[in-house]
Amino acid sequence: MQDDYANIWGIRLQWAYLLAVVFVLMVPVFYNLYISFNEFGFGAARYEFTLDWYGVIFTDRLLTGAMGWTLALALVTVVFVVPMGLLTAKLFKQAGRRLKLTVVAVMLLPLFVPADIFASALLVFFKQLNRIFQTVAEMTGIGAFETWFELGFMTAVIGLIIYTIPYVFIVILITMGRYRAEQTEAARSCGATAWRAFWDVEFPQIRAGVFSSCAFTVILAFNEYVRTSTLKGGFDTFTSVLVSQMLNIGMSEQSYAMGGLISAVAITVIGSIIVFTLVRTDRLQRIERAKAQPVGAD
Amino acid sequence: MAGSDWRDRYGTEGGGPRPASLGVMARVFSEDGLGKWALYAPTVFVILFFIVPTALTVVWSFFERTMFWMEPGFTLFSYVNFFTSARFENFLFSMLHSSVSVVVSFVVGFPIAVFVRRHVPTVAQHRVILLFILPFMVSEIIRTFMLRPVLGRNGLVNTFLTDLGVISEPITQILFTPTGVIIGEVLSFLPFIVFSGFLAMEAVPKYIFEVCQDLGASRWRTFWDIIVPLAAPGIFAGSVFIFVNGIGVALIPSILGGPGAVNAGLIATQAIIALDIPLAMAVSAIMMVTLFGLLAIGHRLFNLTKILEPQA
Repeated sequence: MQDDYANIWGIRLQWAYLLAVVFVLMVPVFYNLYISFNEFGFGAARYEFTLDWYGVIFTDRLLTGAMGWTLALALVTVVFVVPMGLLTAKLFKQAGRRLKLTVVAVMLLPLFVPADIFASALLVFFKQLNRIFQTVAEMTGIGAFETWFELGFMTAVIGLIIYTIPYVFIVILITMGRYRAEQTEAARSCGATAWRAFWDVEFPQIRAGVFSSCAFTVILAFNEYVRTSTLKGGFDTFTSVLVSQMLNIGMSEQSYAMGGLISAVAITVIGSIIVFTLVRTDRLQRIERAKAQPVGAD
Repeated sequence: MAGSDWRDRYGTEGGGPRPASLGVMARVFSEDGLGKWALYAPTVFVILFFIVPTALTVVWSFFERTMFWMEPGFTLFSYVNFFTSARFENFLFSMLHSSVSVVVSFVVGFPIAVFVRRHVPTVAQHRVILLFILPFMVSEIIRTFMLRPVLGRNGLVNTFLTDLGVISEPITQILFTPTGVIIGEVLSFLPFIVFSGFLAMEAVPKYIFEVCQDLGASRWRTFWDIIVPLAAPGIFAGSVFIFVNGIGVALIPSILGGPGAVNAGLIATQAIIALDIPLAMAVSAIMMVTLFGLLAIGHRLFNLTKILEPQA
């Protein structure tokens, strides 16, 4: 009989394979960072470390303006999408089997639809809504809602909310999985309102998931290009400037630095979340183990 | 009494004025009408701004094209235009490339999910899978654009292989060819087959591996006759994701595929730019029908909800 555990080299080989795949997936990112620190750019025979190309980003007013818009989009999206994900996760926990299936299907379907297809559909939807509202405004003489769905900041935020809500929903749902509904029932039995039961008992236990989903949303909003550029109207975002530079003048040293900046921020934030999660899980497990020890045991 | 202090501070269900600052949130999270309906608001939002627009693409695809927009009517012109032009041939080629990407991603990524489930201790499994979040969270634009300097004539791969003495001339058949598109798709979407494969593997109890070993089944037989059928819902979901995104994400063929590489996403984008809105909507509708058709078939065959029901 074969025993995989007996073959330690087989296991090591599989670990090496797993890490190699992660490395290969990250090679374009690492290579981008490597080139972005070279004073002579891509393909040069000499390599001299410099941070000058990153300095150029922060002195370019077009880029700093685009960065400001992107940050504003990301923050407004967080403000809306995180409570939405939280409410949906709560609905999921309370729902019966049929409603659960509907909620999951509705919330996860945006993951499967390619960006260009969804952006085209939403663009035409907003334009059609705009036409309808303009017609209604002409007929009634009430112009208050005439420009509601003109392409701009709000339409870009709607596109980003639809894009990010599946991730937020999944992350919060996973952290909520550890929460037991009996705790809410106990709090309510003690006389707490539903809000206090949520804020004082449930939220502290799902806080990590909520903050992680905030970080994910900011990163996804910074990385997003297709939906934002289709629905944003007149202003520039960081990725739209980056892509137009890449397509129009090719990969310049500044493009590599812009790519390096986005990648470094994403890696740092996600890496921190992963490390924090690992440390926190370890700490909780140690506490659980300590509690499980018989009293008086060393 | 401590209990009454607590109630005074936080408010109770039993009457008495609530603190004003808690008013809105308390109403939202209460179990009366507003609180109950607030839970449904995000789902309604997604239905309004995702389900409705994508469903309406089917209706708009039958509209008649005007100079700058479209007008209500019923014509099959956009579909005839799509199916009888080179666009359809390109669409079929993009389906072929996508299918190859699915197979390559499965071959490369699924064994990782099996390995993690089988050999990594349960407490550490999710941590290992978290490693694949990292590349996924770096912008797809950067990962795709950077494949140009990685795979190009003077790029990383050619330099590395030349320095090793494996090749004497740079390989130029990768970038701006279907191979480049497939590499781009695999590197972009591989984490999904690992995630969905891992979720599916959670539905495979660990003792199954021991039973197979006790019965003397070969690794191949265990994999093909036991693991694949049990993990089929996750494998299918991951494959559909890669396939649909392969034919729908315009960025990869436009950056890595060269002039002839076109997929449905690129056709829709180009149609929007050319103000042929009904054609763009027809392409979107075809994509939607493909996606929902595949998911419906998958659900009927494998019951995709099983992915969300892990075993101990």
